Amino acid sequence: MALAFEGVHVLDLTWVGVGPITTKYLADNGADVIRIESTAKLDVLRVAPPWKDAQPGLDRSQFFASFNSSKRGISLDLSKPKGREIALRLLPWADVVSESFTPKAMRNWGMDYEKLSAIKPELIMFSTCMQGQTGPNALYPGFGQLMAALSGFYHISGYGDGEPSPPYGAYSDFVAPRFLAAAVIAALDYKRRTGKGQYIDMSQYEAALQNLAPALIDYFATGRILAAQANQSPRYAPHGAYRCADQDGIERWISIAVENDADWKALLAVIGSDGFGDRYARHSQRLGDQPGLDQLINAKTRAHQAWDLTHKLQAAGVAAYPVQNCVDLHQDENLEAFEFWHWLDHQEMGPSPYEGLQHRLSKTPGELRRPAPALGQHNQEIFGGMLGMDQAEVDRLIEAKVIF
Amino acid sequence: MGSELLNGFRMLDLSNEKGALCGRIFADLGADVIKIEPPAGCSTRRIPPYLEDRAGPDRSLYFLAYQAGKRSVTIDIESAAGGDLARSLIKKSDFVVESFAVGYLDSIGLGYQALAALNPRIIHTSITPFGDRGPGKTYKGHDINVWAAGGMMYLMGKPDRPPLQMSLPQAGLHAGAEAAVASLIAHYARGATGEGQHVVVDMQACIVWTLMNEQAMPILHGDYLKRTGVHVGSAGVRRKVIFQCRDGYISALIGAGASTKALADWMLECGFGAQWMKTKDWLNWTPAIAMTKNDQEQILDLEERVQRFFMTMTKREIYEEALKRRLLLAPVADASDIASDPQLKAREYFVPIRHETLDRTLTLPGPFAKLSQTPIGPSRRAPTLGEHTDEVLSEIAGYEAAKIKALRSVGAI
Repeated sequence: MALAFEGVHVLDLTWVGVGPITTKYLADNGADVIRIESTAKLDVLRVAPPWKDAQPGLDRSQFFASFNSSKRGISLDLSKPKGREIALRLLPWADVVSESFTPKAMRNWGMDYEKLSAIKPELIMFSTCMQGQTGPNALYPGFGQLMAALSGFYHISGYGDGEPSPPYGAYSDFVAPRFLAAAVIAALDYKRRTGKGQYIDMSQYEAALQNLAPALIDYFATGRILAAQANQSPRYAPHGAYRCADQDGIERWISIAVENDADWKALLAVIGSDGFGDRYARHSQRLGDQPGLDQLINAKTRAHQAWDLTHKLQAAGVAAYPVQNCVDLHQDENLEAFEFWHWLDHQEMGPSPYEGLQHRLSKTPGELRRPAPALGQHNQEIFGGMLGMDQAEVDRLIEAKVIF
Repeated sequence: MGSELLNGFRMLDLSNEKGALCGRIFADLGADVIKIEPPAGCSTRRIPPYLEDRAGPDRSLYFLAYQAGKRSVTIDIESAAGGDLARSLIKKSDFVVESFAVGYLDSIGLGYQALAALNPRIIHTSITPFGDRGPGKTYKGHDINVWAAGGMMYLMGKPDRPPLQMSLPQAGLHAGAEAAVASLIAHYARGATGEGQHVVVDMQACIVWTLMNEQAMPILHGDYLKRTGVHVGSAGVRRKVIFQCRDGYISALIGAGASTKALADWMLECGFGAQWMKTKDWLNWTPAIAMTKNDQEQILDLEERVQRFFMTMTKREIYEEALKRRLLLAPVADASDIASDPQLKAREYFVPIRHETLDRTLTLPGPFAKLSQTPIGPSRRAPTLGEHTDEVLSEIAGYEAAKIKALRSVGAI
């Protein structure tokens, strides 16, 4: 059966995280996605680690590669009028145009939705930037790391007794694309049914805040401000990461969450009930003294291997899993069974490790159809083939650093 | 009024906190989302904290947030009459989303094969904590366990203290949003084939994906990251990203070209600079990519100076100046900062929604995107338990009042 988006064409001007991750959903599910990049203004991920053999190079970043599987790529300098003119020759082909510059860029280039939809009314176009296309801070530059701070994630991360301990990386860059992809796919479906295209303005800030909705509703209603509280939970106790026996000199931890008395009894049956007395017999008692409870649990878990204890707890019906590091992830049997890891043979990098999809469709399963494009890898087939430019013209454009 | 975008499509939502956001996204996009709750109510009604810390089936903040926009029907799907009712609703629906233990729906005759026999167009999306094929398919996985299994927990926290979860659990939200995308991919495929399919979402994989490709480090660089508190580090680079200020914290990316130059200029103007900062070639300085010993010393000096400089100002003062000077910097915002942000106000982001049962108007985060042709967003409050049982049974399943009464009397609804 054909993949879902076979026949859908995407002219992808996005870069860095949110835009490329969003168009990757389309590409892995069959859309022909052509990314326009340029040496004149490199996608910063091309120069960011990890690199093949830890050696930098424009076509050696797995960071870039992971977000751009299944796409084709051309190099074209859009800051030059001739570059834009060539990009616009691909407009009749495109069902979707996507971009993630700061808002003024597309306007300045005469490539905003108003201009493009005047040429092609049924176009779907999406723009995604930090804070949206309008408003006083629309031009705010930044990366997901800062957005994760601005949208409240940092504040609720930490031990509650000092500075925050933020989530790793550009956290909001992994929140926004799921929302954006949902909107874009629904818009494609709507267009197929009605013939109508539209413009999607996504503020990554406004998408990220969806994941904090309970805390925001609470603040508006009662003025309460959610703060970091280590691993303490209003729902589960014990609830946290507990130290297990070191293995090969590496610290090991297990996550445990106990929801009710049955879980609690099952936990004690595995780790032993001595030392707890009757102070923690009821769920309300456990919720009421989580630091004290944690201390006692830690003293018990320290003697166990993390996986061994996980197996025993899960067999007893207690929610538990080792706290895994990035090495562990590659040995995880559940990720393996889901076929999460993939090796793709990249033009310069050779066989390279890609993360796969996080879902599986039974009849039209998307897949990593090809490795990420090297910079300008598909120039010939797109400029020469699709656009019918002759070699002399291509050479002139390379000379003029338009194809660049 | 809901959005026109998915108007006319119906989703039955049998999920708990692992999938609530999926249905919420569908409701925001205009689908008719019917939450099927057991007679005792969905477990998400009992997720603390509660509004004003008073427990009650309509007071869970989580429920108020992620069940908004849906209708509620109570059905005991394990009873014969309840199962029949579920089957008649499935015939009139386009999507089913659920997060039961793997195999549970099969065991009560409502697995994908059974649903597809009733309605070949149905898209059935199952959300699983650790997938449906590995040894962990039967594991119990609460949010923190998936956060741990997916690798994010190990990277959060200080080196000498335990790994951390965020104080608002996130794994179920990633899985719910991923389920929405995957269901829509299947929906788009159905447009061409007329056939539905079974979709499985792996929560653990959803968290691995948030690691920003750090997961490739062991293979490509032979190294792996450990949690570093307020620093970020990768490939031998180590930078502080959190700085204290007068009333809280600021997150700043130091060592990023023009932005760091602008910060240095600002500090020099205010008397917090150093001699070396005046002559530094900031624009060609790329310590984020490869750091020499000299780079590391300058970073440390800069970090110490930035810290002293920020202590003279508030979050808001620093952020306002940063916007003017185009610095890569943001306040570590809390709910009050977000609620009063002029940018969100200018875009009329927050949406008031009346809740009659609570006798108050709640304020919800607004649309996750602005769509020109078919605006989306939260359209109605979260339902009370079984609020729409009668209307859904008569309107969709075509049940008569007497039959509804009979079902109620035997506890099937």
